[in-house]
Amino acid sequence: MEDKKPIIELKDVTFTYASTETPALKGVNLTIYEGEYVALMGLNGAGKTTLQLTFNGVIPNMMMGDFEGTVIVSGMDTDEYPVREMAKVIGLVFDNPEFQLSQMTVAEEIALGLENIGTPPAEMHRIIAESLEIVGLSGFEDRSPFGLSGGQQQRLSIASALAMKPRIVVMDEPTSNVDPIGKEEIFAVAAQLNRERGMTVIMAEHEVEVMAAYADRIIVLHKGEIVLNGTPHEVFTQVDTLKSIGLRVPQATELAYQLDQKRLASYAGKYPVTTEEAVQDLTDKFGKGG
Amino acid sequence: MPEEKIVCQNLGHVYPRGKIVALENVNLTICSQEIIGVIGQNGSGKTTLVKHFNGLLKPTSGKVIVEGNDTAKKKVQELAAHVGYVFQNPNHQLFAKTVEHELEFGPTNLGLSREEVEERREKAIEFFGLQDLRLSHPYRISFPLRKLVSMAAVYTMRPAVFILDEPTTGQDNITTRTVYRLIERLREEGSTVICVAHDMILLAEVVDRMIVMRNSHLIADASPREVFSDTELMHSTHITPPQITSIGLRWPGFGEKKVLLSVDEAVTAINSSNPPANS
Amino acid sequence: MQGVAIPITMVAGDSYIHRLNPLPKLFIALGVLILSFATRNPLVLGVVFALGLVFVTAAGIWKSYLRVVGILFPISLTLVVMQSIAPAFPRPWTPITDFGPFTIYQEGIYSGVSMLLRIFSMTTFALVMIMTTHPSDLFTSLQKIGMPYVLNFILTMTLQLIPILQNEFAIVLSAQKSRGMKGSGFGAVLPSMVPVFVGAIERVQQLSISLESRAFGSTGIKTSFRNVTMSLKDYVIMVLGVLATLATTVWVIADKSLDWSRTLIFPPTLSIIIVALAAIGFVAFFILAISYVLRA
Ligand SMILES: Nc1ncnc2c1ncn2[C@@H]1O[C@H](COP(=O)(O)OP(=O)(O)OP(=O)(O)O)[C@@H](O)[C@H]1O
Ligand SMILES: Nc1ncnc2c1ncn2[C@@H]1O[C@H](COP(=O)(O)OP(=O)(O)O)[C@@H](O)[C@H]1O
Ligand SMILES: [Mg+2]
Ligand SMILES: [Mg+2]
Repeated sequence: MEDKKPIIELKDVTFTYASTETPALKGVNLTIYEGEYVALMGLNGAGKTTLQLTFNGVIPNMMMGDFEGTVIVSGMDTDEYPVREMAKVIGLVFDNPEFQLSQMTVAEEIALGLENIGTPPAEMHRIIAESLEIVGLSGFEDRSPFGLSGGQQQRLSIASALAMKPRIVVMDEPTSNVDPIGKEEIFAVAAQLNRERGMTVIMAEHEVEVMAAYADRIIVLHKGEIVLNGTPHEVFTQVDTLKSIGLRVPQATELAYQLDQKRLASYAGKYPVTTEEAVQDLTDKFGKGG
Repeated sequence: MPEEKIVCQNLGHVYPRGKIVALENVNLTICSQEIIGVIGQNGSGKTTLVKHFNGLLKPTSGKVIVEGNDTAKKKVQELAAHVGYVFQNPNHQLFAKTVEHELEFGPTNLGLSREEVEERREKAIEFFGLQDLRLSHPYRISFPLRKLVSMAAVYTMRPAVFILDEPTTGQDNITTRTVYRLIERLREEGSTVICVAHDMILLAEVVDRMIVMRNSHLIADASPREVFSDTELMHSTHITPPQITSIGLRWPGFGEKKVLLSVDEAVTAINSSNPPANS
Repeated sequence: MQGVAIPITMVAGDSYIHRLNPLPKLFIALGVLILSFATRNPLVLGVVFALGLVFVTAAGIWKSYLRVVGILFPISLTLVVMQSIAPAFPRPWTPITDFGPFTIYQEGIYSGVSMLLRIFSMTTFALVMIMTTHPSDLFTSLQKIGMPYVLNFILTMTLQLIPILQNEFAIVLSAQKSRGMKGSGFGAVLPSMVPVFVGAIERVQQLSISLESRAFGSTGIKTSFRNVTMSLKDYVIMVLGVLATLATTVWVIADKSLDWSRTLIFPPTLSIIIVALAAIGFVAFFILAISYVLRA
C-alpha cells in the first residue's frame, strides 16, 4: 500500500442526527486508498449507512444534525462542496431501491446521471446498454422502474450508479434483494471495475461469505466506532471478538472454528474464509476422507 | 392430519401495465402446518405468487383456493384474518403514526377487545425487541427495523397462514436470529409458514419443503436437501446453496452425508468419521 | 395503480402535439390561464374551452382527459351551487327565485357558470400540456432558457409528485386491506390520506438526496438523452400562441360590453334546474367515488 494515494480521509468525524441524542458516528478516523475494495460490516444501527453518507457530503449538507470533524474526498472537503458536485467523482447506491427511482423508463433512469455529467447522447445509448448488461437487465430499457421486482429495482440502482463511471462507488447493502448468483455477479463486476479502472469500491454488506471472497479490506463498525479494520483473514480470524459484538463469520470460518474448539483439528488462529480455502484445508487436515 | 390451506390450479398472472407475464400455469397445494420456502431468481414470480394467497393479486387465469374459498370472490379484507402477508418492501406496508398504532391496527380490525389488542401488542414488542421504538414514526426508523415492525404488525394478527417475503433482507445476524425464532414460534403454534427468500442459510435451517420458481413457472417442489444437491437446477435458477453445502459437496471426505444444511451437521459428520486430532 | 388512479401525468403517444417542443405548450397554457382570469364572459370562456377540446382530440388523450374531468367536474359543480346562493360579486345582487331556504341570485348563476367554464378552459390546456410532455423534456427546455435551477427543480418535482401520490395511495390502501381494514364510507378512507402525504414527503426527501447524488443540478455542460429541439415551427407556434392569448386578454379587459352579468338573464325555472342538477351531480359523484374506492 506504500505508493497508494488516499482518496477518502476522515478525521475525528462525529455525527449526531437531529432527532437523537447518542452520536451515530463517534470520532471516526479512517483513510481509504485509491483502488481499494472495502467492505463495511456491523449490526443494524452500527453506523454503516451514516458513515457512507458522509463520503459524498449528504451528511452534513443534506441531513439535519451535529457534525464535527473533516471529510476529504479526492482532495475536496465535503463541507465546502454540494452533493451534486461531489457526485461527479463519487457514486452512491442507497439501501432502499425504490426511493432512488424516479423516471418513466429504465433507460431514462440510467440516462439521468449521464445527462448531468454531460455525456454525449450518442454515447449514452452504448453506456445504457452496457450497464444494463452488467446487472442482467438487458431488454428492460422501456419498462417502468416501478413495475420491476424488488431485486430488479436494486439491480437498476446499481446500474445507474456504475453508468456514471465514478472514481469511487459506495453501495449500501446493494444486493439485499438480489438472488445469490446475481449477488456474486455484482460483487464480481465491482471487482472487475476495481481492477480494470482502478475504481475504489466501498460496500456495506451483511453477507460475510461474499465479502470474504471479494473485499481487500473489511472494516467493522460497532456503535458508531471502528472496532476492526484489516484484510478478510485478519478480521474473520477474530471470531471471538466478532461473536461478542453479535456478528457472524463465514460458514467456512465457523466450521474451522468449531473443529478447533472441539479439538478435531488445530488452527493456531489461522482460519480459512472462502469455500476454496475450506475445501483445501479439510483435504490438508483429513485427506480425501474414507 | 393435514388439511389443504392453499390450492393453486393452473394459476396465471399477467400484469396489465406492459402486459408482463409473471406467472404461468402454476399448480400447487399447501397444507396446514407446512413450513415452505419459495426461491428463484429475481423476477421469477415469487412475490407475484404469494400475493395471490391473500388476494392482493387476483389470478388472470386459473384459480387460487384459500381454505376452501375462491380468492376471486373474496375481498382482501376478509382473507386478512386467515392469511397474513409481510411485504417485501416494508414501505409498502406501514402507514400508522407510531409503531404502537401500527401493531394495533390488525388486531383491532379483527374485533378483539382493547385488553387483548394491548396484550398482543406488548408481546410483539417484546418478541421483536421494539421497546425503544414504540412511539417512533414507522417511516422515520431505519430500513431493517421497518422490516421488523412490519413482521410484528402481521404477527399481532396471528393468521393461520403466515407469508414472509424476504424477511431477512437488510437484517443483521442478531435480527436474522429473531426471524428464525419467529418461524420456530409459528411452527410451534401450528401456523403454516411460506417464506420467500434469497437467504439460503435461513431456508436450509428452517424449511421442510422448497418451491422453486423460474421464468414464471414452478419448476421444482422438493426438500432443501434435494434442491441443494441438484447443481443443474440451482444454476439454472440463479441460486447457490449455503457455503457449508458447497463445501460438503466439494470435499469428498463427507461421503454419503455430503448434502449438509448447517455447520453443526458438518462438525458432527467430521466428528463421527475422524478421531480428534492429535496435537 | 388500480382503481383510484387519476393519470395526471404523461400519456404516451406520438401526436403532433406530443412532438411539439414543451415551451410553446407551456407558454400557451400560461396565456390561457391569464386570459381565463381576465374575463367572466361565458361565450369567450366557452370558445377557449372548445378550442382546448380540439387539442385534446388532436393529442388523442380523451380517455385520460375524461378520467380527470370525471373527478374535476363534480367538484366544480359545488362552485355553481355555492355561487348561486352566495355570489363572489359586488352587491347589489338581483334575486331570481327562492330555492328551499335559499335565494338564487342572477349574479350568482352568472358567476357560477363562468367559474365552471374558467376552470375548464384553464385545466384543459394545462392537461393537454402535461399529458403530452415528458417531464424531463420540460426540465431540459426550461433549463435551456435559463430558468433558475431551484425553480425548475421544484416544478419537475411537483410534476413527479402527482404520480408518486397516486401510487402511494394505492400502496397504503392495499396495505390496510391486507391487515383487514374495517369500515366503509368516507371515514375509512380519510385516515389513509395522512400516511399518503407523510409517505410522499419522505419519498420526495429521499428522492432529492438520490437525485443530487447523481449530480442533478450540478454545474457544467448538460446533455439530454431525449432529443429536445426548438425548431422554427416551434418558435412560430409559440409566438403566435402567446400573441393570440395576450391580444384576446387585452380585448376582454378593454371591451366593457363583454360584462354580461346583468344582461344574460336566467329564467327562474332554468336557474333552479341548473342549481339542482349541480347539487345532485355532486352528491351522486361523492357516493359513487366512495363506493368505488371501497370496492375490491
Ligand atoms: N407492478 C408490476 N407491474 C408490471 N410488472 C411487474 C409488476 N411487479 C412485478 N412485475 C414483473 O413480474 C415479474 C415477476 O415479478 P415478482 O415481483 O413476482 O418477482 P420476484 O420473483 O418476487 O423477484 P425478486 O426476487 O426480485 O423479488 C417480473 O418480470 C417483474 O418485472
Ligand atoms: N435519519 C435518521 N434520523 C435519526 N437517527 C438515525 C437516522 N438514520 C440513522 N439513525 C441512527 O443512527 C445510528 C446509525 O444508523 P445507521 O447508520 O443507519 O446504521 P447501519 O447502516 O449500520 O444500520 C442508529 O442508532 C440509527 O438509529
Ligand atoms: Mg444501513
Ligand atoms: Mg419479490
